[in-house]
Amino acid sequence: MKTTDPATAPDADRKVIGESGSLFLARLQGETGVNVGACYQCERCTNACPVAGYMDLKPHQVIRYTQLGWRHELMHSVTIWVCLSCEMCTTYCPNEIDVAEVINHLRNMAARSTIEPREKDLAEFHHVFLHELQRFGRVNELWLMAAYNRRLGVLKNKLRDGSLVEDLRLGIKLWRRGRLRLVPHRSRAIQEIRRLYRKKGVL
Amino acid sequence: MRLSFYPGCSLEGMANNYGRSITHAFSDLDIELVEIEDWSCCGATAAHSLSEAMAVALPARNLAAADSMGLDLVTPCAMCFNRLRFSQQALEREIYDVPWQVSGELRVHDMTRYMASEAMLQRIAERVERPLGDLRVICYYGCQMVRPPKITGYTDFENPQTMDRIMQALGTRVRDWSYKSTCCGASIGIGRRDIRDSLSHRILDKARQTGTDAIVVSCPLCQANLDTVQEGSPRRPLPVFYFTELMQLAFREPAGDDWFGTHITDPRPLLRARGLI
Ligand code: SF4
Ligand code: SF4
Repeated sequence: MKTTDPATAPDADRKVIGESGSLFLARLQGETGVNVGACYQCERCTNACPVAGYMDLKPHQVIRYTQLGWRHELMHSVTIWVCLSCEMCTTYCPNEIDVAEVINHLRNMAARSTIEPREKDLAEFHHVFLHELQRFGRVNELWLMAAYNRRLGVLKNKLRDGSLVEDLRLGIKLWRRGRLRLVPHRSRAIQEIRRLYRKKGVL
Repeated sequence: MRLSFYPGCSLEGMANNYGRSITHAFSDLDIELVEIEDWSCCGATAAHSLSEAMAVALPARNLAAADSMGLDLVTPCAMCFNRLRFSQQALEREIYDVPWQVSGELRVHDMTRYMASEAMLQRIAERVERPLGDLRVICYYGCQMVRPPKITGYTDFENPQTMDRIMQALGTRVRDWSYKSTCCGASIGIGRRDIRDSLSHRILDKARQTGTDAIVVSCPLCQANLDTVQEGSPRRPLPVFYFTELMQLAFREPAGDDWFGTHITDPRPLLRARGLI
């Protein structure tokens, strides 16, 4: 009979606790006020999530990985960028775990880190949006899209899949219907807002 | 009656038709909307996604400005509503400091909820000149107005009713359905069109199955998604109205094409067929 030595079994070197151990869990719980430890893996969050099919880590796995301190996997996941903040998971968790808040917090952490986001265009859009906001105090959709489309990676992707042409076609239709504003409104609050950006260290 | 008004950025651009219909609807109801002077963007999904501190601070500036007006605040945009309430609650817990003085007394309403109080519904019903009895509609609420309940204050978040009640007051044949608050994809379409398309088309398909003529919304982003995604689709077109547009239609004689000619999925054939324009 073939016996398996637990020390040489294929999963012997399987990582059980992340490199920073429970520190990561403690940090996340402290910063978000969410009781991540209360999760019993019922998967209700994942069942409620409209985009679970597009995620590499499902919402309940995000919670489990957080408990285990698997920071690296979380930061490099598609999930933290495709999550829509639709709050279905949070609303339906039987243990009142704010799953959406955990995912959003991870997204905040990833944005502050040097890690390259798995969904570059989605991350890029958020940055462009905040940049436009500090230019004008308000956000003008036409200028926002123009700034976003000018980003090199975005432009390449859009040329490749033909969505740039579709965008333009829709833009023209909206323009004809009077629904685009050419000149952005400049809020007199820009100075205050720029000061805020500097203080909070954004951009 | 006076209210302070936070329109949000969309109302200056793609949702300017929503803005116009709001102005008309409120003036017909004799309510004065006082726009917050020099308001700024709430930060929307971007601020939230990249920096929670900014997601608290950006709305706070507007809350402070509204505070000094001493009026209840209404906002027509689901996202702005959610962000303003979120900021208000975070400030109460004193997690972040902001450079503005916010009292915490201000009442922030989403526009549909404000309009769906008993007194307002009665006022709306009294104002109706042309009941929309021939129009079959369903209401779509999306996410940000109703979830998470601890932020939005909606207790009926699974089956919200505010717009349904307004539609009843206008005399439309409104019915319940199961996708009222299923996500349309929000701004994800900008980076991942495939996800937006699949989520929005699913909602439209379910809507068609109810046999409805049109969908009624209050969120500019939901309107943009559900309206523009139908471009080039072979399925039965489903116009997507702002609830205030239907209020206009019930209150007034339609004046010119700029009323409904601004949509991508043109509602005029439907309205003509029902004898409403
Ligand atoms: S719904 Fe709550 S308890 Fe269930 S798996 Fe998700 S986070 Fe854990
Ligand atoms: S908030 Fe994100 S993870 Fe939660 S249900 Fe929505 S998309 Fe899924």
